[in-house]
Amino acid sequence: MPTPAYDVQRSNNATTLSVRGSLDINTAPQLAEEIDNIVGTKPGEVFVDLSGLDLIDSSGVAALVKLYKGIRSTGGAITISGARDQPLQIFKLLRMDKVFNL
Amino acid sequence: MAPPIRLTVPGTLRYRDLAVRMVAESARLVSCSSHRNPNDPLDTDVRDPFDTAIVSAFAEIFNNVAIHAYKRKGGGTIEISITPHERELVIEVKDTGSTFDIDNVAPLPTELDVDTLPEGGMGIHIAKTMLDEVTYEPGPPNLWRLCKRLPGGTNADTRV
Repeated sequence: MPTPAYDVQRSNNATTLSVRGSLDINTAPQLAEEIDNIVGTKPGEVFVDLSGLDLIDSSGVAALVKLYKGIRSTGGAITISGARDQPLQIFKLLRMDKVFNL
Repeated sequence: MAPPIRLTVPGTLRYRDLAVRMVAESARLVSCSSHRNPNDPLDTDVRDPFDTAIVSAFAEIFNNVAIHAYKRKGGGTIEISITPHERELVIEVKDTGSTFDIDNVAPLPTELDVDTLPEGGMGIHIAKTMLDEVTYEPGPPNLWRLCKRLPGGTNADTRV
């Protein structure tokens, strides 16, 4: 199974998740585990950088929704940025661009 | 008249990327788009709107077949037939797994906020919205038929 390309950087009360390549049904499950870890630490602020993301499918979107809901449910703030091309089109199609402020 | 491009793969997600790459290349035959990275002919990055629509929709249908028809266990094949026309691309996807109730797919919530953001059930919505036609005929074999036309195009008889 492919390994998702992502980096997690933690500093003080903030966490930055950078996702690259393809976030899809084959790669999202591993990222979901990392998302559980991020949510579990209850960071005050999370930044998600999608500028390196080339392709996303509904499973990838679901993983990011899980992160968004998880952080918000713990009272944290989350900022998603950098979406472009196909991923941005998918978010717009699903009308999530406005929720995520993309 | 050129014959369709065909690929048959086992009905598991392991072969998804292979199938998506073939579909991406087929879309480029119609859109005449180019790779962002010319040194990587297998680059699946897509930017052209036509390619984006085709790849996004097909990937969701492949996911659906592997998950719902074959229950993530495989045991059958996925037959893909791609017919590039001058201004449209037609893809047929056949499987012999369980049938899918396409009419029972829930629509997206009308108002999206943090509470109503869906965590599933988005795939068919993506495919239907991205393409000009998405039809499903229960089998066996089950048949998905996907069609995307270039803007301003009609059903072309001339094949590339």
